[in-house]
Amino acid sequence: MTRTYTPWFLLVVALALAAVYLFPLYWMYVTSLKTGSEIFANPPTFWPREPNPDIYPETWARRTMPVFLLNSVIIAGGITAITVILGTGCAYVLARYRNVWIDIGLFCVLMLQVLPASVMVTPLFVGFNQIGLLNYPRTAVVLAAAAKAMPFFVVLVRATFMSVPRELEEAALVDGNSRVGAFFSIVLPLARNGILVCAILTFMSAFGEYIYSKSIIQSPSLQPASVGLSGFLGPNSTDWSSIMAYSAIYVTPILLVFVILQRRIVSGLTSGALK
Amino acid sequence: MTRFLNALRDGVGFDILLVGAALLFLLALAGAPLVYNVLMSFQQVDMFTLGVLFRPFVGFDNYVAVVQQPEFWMVTRNTLVFVFGSMTGQFVLGFALALFFAQDFPGASTIRGLFLVSWVMPGLVVGAIWSWILAGDFGVLNVILKSLGIIQNNVFWKSDPNFSIWAVIIANIWLGLAFNMLLLSVGLAAIPRDLYEAAELDGANAFQRFWTITLPMMRSTIGAVLSLGLIGTLQQFDLFPALTEGGPANTSNVAGFWSWQLSFQLYDFAKGATVSVMMFLLVLFASVIYVRSTRHEVRG
Amino acid sequence: MTAQIELIDIDKHYGNFHALKNVSLTIDKGSFVALVGPSGCGKSTLLRSIAGLETITSGRMTIAGKEMTGVPPRHRDIAMVFQSYALYPHMTVEENLTYSLRLHGVSKADARKKAAEVAATTGLSELLSRYPRQLSGGQRQRVAMGRAIIRNPKAFLFDEPLSNLDAALRVQMRKEIRALHDRLGATSVYVTHDQIEAMTMADWVVVMRAGIIEQQGRPLDLYDKPVNRFVAGFIGSPAMNFLPGRIADSGNSVVLDGGGSLPLARNVEPGRTVIAGVRPEHLQVRGDDANFHLEVGVVESTGSATYLTSRDGNFQLVQSERTQLASGDRVGLGIDPTRVHLFDPETGIAL
Repeated sequence: MTRTYTPWFLLVVALALAAVYLFPLYWMYVTSLKTGSEIFANPPTFWPREPNPDIYPETWARRTMPVFLLNSVIIAGGITAITVILGTGCAYVLARYRNVWIDIGLFCVLMLQVLPASVMVTPLFVGFNQIGLLNYPRTAVVLAAAAKAMPFFVVLVRATFMSVPRELEEAALVDGNSRVGAFFSIVLPLARNGILVCAILTFMSAFGEYIYSKSIIQSPSLQPASVGLSGFLGPNSTDWSSIMAYSAIYVTPILLVFVILQRRIVSGLTSGALK
Repeated sequence: MTRFLNALRDGVGFDILLVGAALLFLLALAGAPLVYNVLMSFQQVDMFTLGVLFRPFVGFDNYVAVVQQPEFWMVTRNTLVFVFGSMTGQFVLGFALALFFAQDFPGASTIRGLFLVSWVMPGLVVGAIWSWILAGDFGVLNVILKSLGIIQNNVFWKSDPNFSIWAVIIANIWLGLAFNMLLLSVGLAAIPRDLYEAAELDGANAFQRFWTITLPMMRSTIGAVLSLGLIGTLQQFDLFPALTEGGPANTSNVAGFWSWQLSFQLYDFAKGATVSVMMFLLVLFASVIYVRSTRHEVRG
Repeated sequence: MTAQIELIDIDKHYGNFHALKNVSLTIDKGSFVALVGPSGCGKSTLLRSIAGLETITSGRMTIAGKEMTGVPPRHRDIAMVFQSYALYPHMTVEENLTYSLRLHGVSKADARKKAAEVAATTGLSELLSRYPRQLSGGQRQRVAMGRAIIRNPKAFLFDEPLSNLDAALRVQMRKEIRALHDRLGATSVYVTHDQIEAMTMADWVVVMRAGIIEQQGRPLDLYDKPVNRFVAGFIGSPAMNFLPGRIADSGNSVVLDGGGSLPLARNVEPGRTVIAGVRPEHLQVRGDDANFHLEVGVVESTGSATYLTSRDGNFQLVQSERTQLASGDRVGLGIDPTRVHLFDPETGIAL
């Protein structure tokens, strides 16, 4: 093989690897389009004989997906709002200074990033029960999950703020602005893209939040889509076409946002996660 | 009062306000529960005492009871198998893919970016899809493995006690692989090209270049990736309810899911808290490694 | 002359690091003062303290007679040009120029008019609607200058503003900044690590080291009468040569440890050990009446001047004429007695 063909050969290999890796996604869509008997055909068909999207409206209605998805949006929106509002300022301060106190703060944030939700859910549930917050289960989930999402957000956004030269802010101070003014008119606009990407990432992961919602929200009318999915999912599930249709409806918006913003998300992640 | 407002506008008051609000929030919703968790692990917690703070103190009774549970050692073993199996798979495959995508060919970074969709998908959906792929009788994985001649008979991934934990591990590897690859790619890209050129001039072959340049230069990245992988694996929860629910007979149960089951399915909050304190100690160990590996970057 | 900026006993600590030690300095209205010293000497910290960007640990300062200790930067009415220029990347040149005016409530029309004037004096008229990333290094530098002068502030602070420019542009901007200063009748404080910039631009030079002011004065006074070995070595390029020796019994010459002797224009206590300092440009190549000899190591010629370095690398001299000397030659050197400096070997203080 001559050297000029190597890149194209590598491209083919890369596409093949991506195809293998993304096969589960493909399988989700394909299964959802198959009829009941074709799903259990042996050997399985890799392309549906008669693609049939009827299962979508059926699952949408029968599984009360609008309610679940609305709850997911509300919960994810709340988590993102708290995380962005509180986390941005925190990230800014942690990026701006270097001293012992900042190191301690950063250490705390890193430690909290590490805590598994499964460790936190028991004390949070009992604690929320004691202060009566379980009567507002969605609020309780938002608070709990925001605390879980914030450390990661802070670490990523801190990297964004570190890339804003401090001299710009100082120039604004000398030019006659206050700290508050310089933060809002100089620092925030320059960090806006990074913050936006991190906010979208936060929203996407909050959109799939499961453990807190499952543990805290009892009423089906308040549960998010993840809990709704778990309702008919288990080791012995067989209703695969509607599970896959449900999953497809659930993740397609996330996938679309990801594909559109892929480049920015990837660069935002890489700049933050390693610093 | 004016002095206070001035400090808020022009001085450190602004910084303290920004960082303080976030830290207070985290303290209330992460720090306090953590302490409360430890407290509960030394108390008798049942349906009657759930609503009060001062419950009967039972010393280490909960810990003794947890260790004496018949499934305790099984869960411990599974936790370790799950952690090391997932991390090894994610890291080795992630590194291999990172090396592949470090080659110069059209579309390399775009295709690599596509891999990350696994990372943004809800864990429960990933679990659902893999549950279907891994299904024993009609799952597509068995069909593919049989047609490749790797297995003769269907493997009941989720219900065979020998494979159930591996079913979760496979799904978890798929989930975390892309993030590993991405971080390792960044590390690879940071190695200056001319180092490789110099090594090539010095007569090092591709294999030697990998051992003498790539690996040493990637040391801090690898440290960070491994510890992030450890943390991510210990945090994994959603795959368990979607795939096996810890079964059959706890053969795929791990500490995190077990703790949740004790609290929310058996309503034994004391034992749930106790297991999660044990789990927290494991996480603490992981995070010490993480902080150590990122320490120089923290200081810049 | 009235004092525009007055610093009294300024101290600054960063944790255990003592960045400024009891610094007092008076900057006259209309003067151009250069703060110069090696990196880490505290010159930037001092400048940033004047701007209010650093809070001082103790001491007081006034600007135009008003107490400024603890006052935030925006109430100090000073302008600053940063090393990186610190142009706001999300604003056009015009928005960059008028940012401070807008903050001070100047109307949009007035701000635009002012921006046009400043752009005309700094040669930016064509560039007002561009963004900083579309400008060359020199143009960015001008925007940074323009942003400072548009406000007519009480003082201009410069933090190594030319260090990101190439050599030719730097020489040109040196003159422009000085000309602008004179035209505006401004008060300027200029931080640099480049003693040539300090010598050529300033009418008052402050040499700092390790958080203290070693010496301050008019540029040529520092060159002619350095108060200690550090200032002597720092001011002048190539740096002054230092030769250990002892005062002869006659008291009017230095016997060099390395052989030879230097004449003195005055009498010093005989037998005393000293460090003699001679500037490379003050040495002449002589024949029989040479004061001392050394072996030539490296000869570098720029065309206008020839730089000679001794074999041991410790000694430099500059010749304005072309020379036939080559590496390995032994050369005899002489000096005018009035140009020999003497320093105490222990304290480094000039004798």
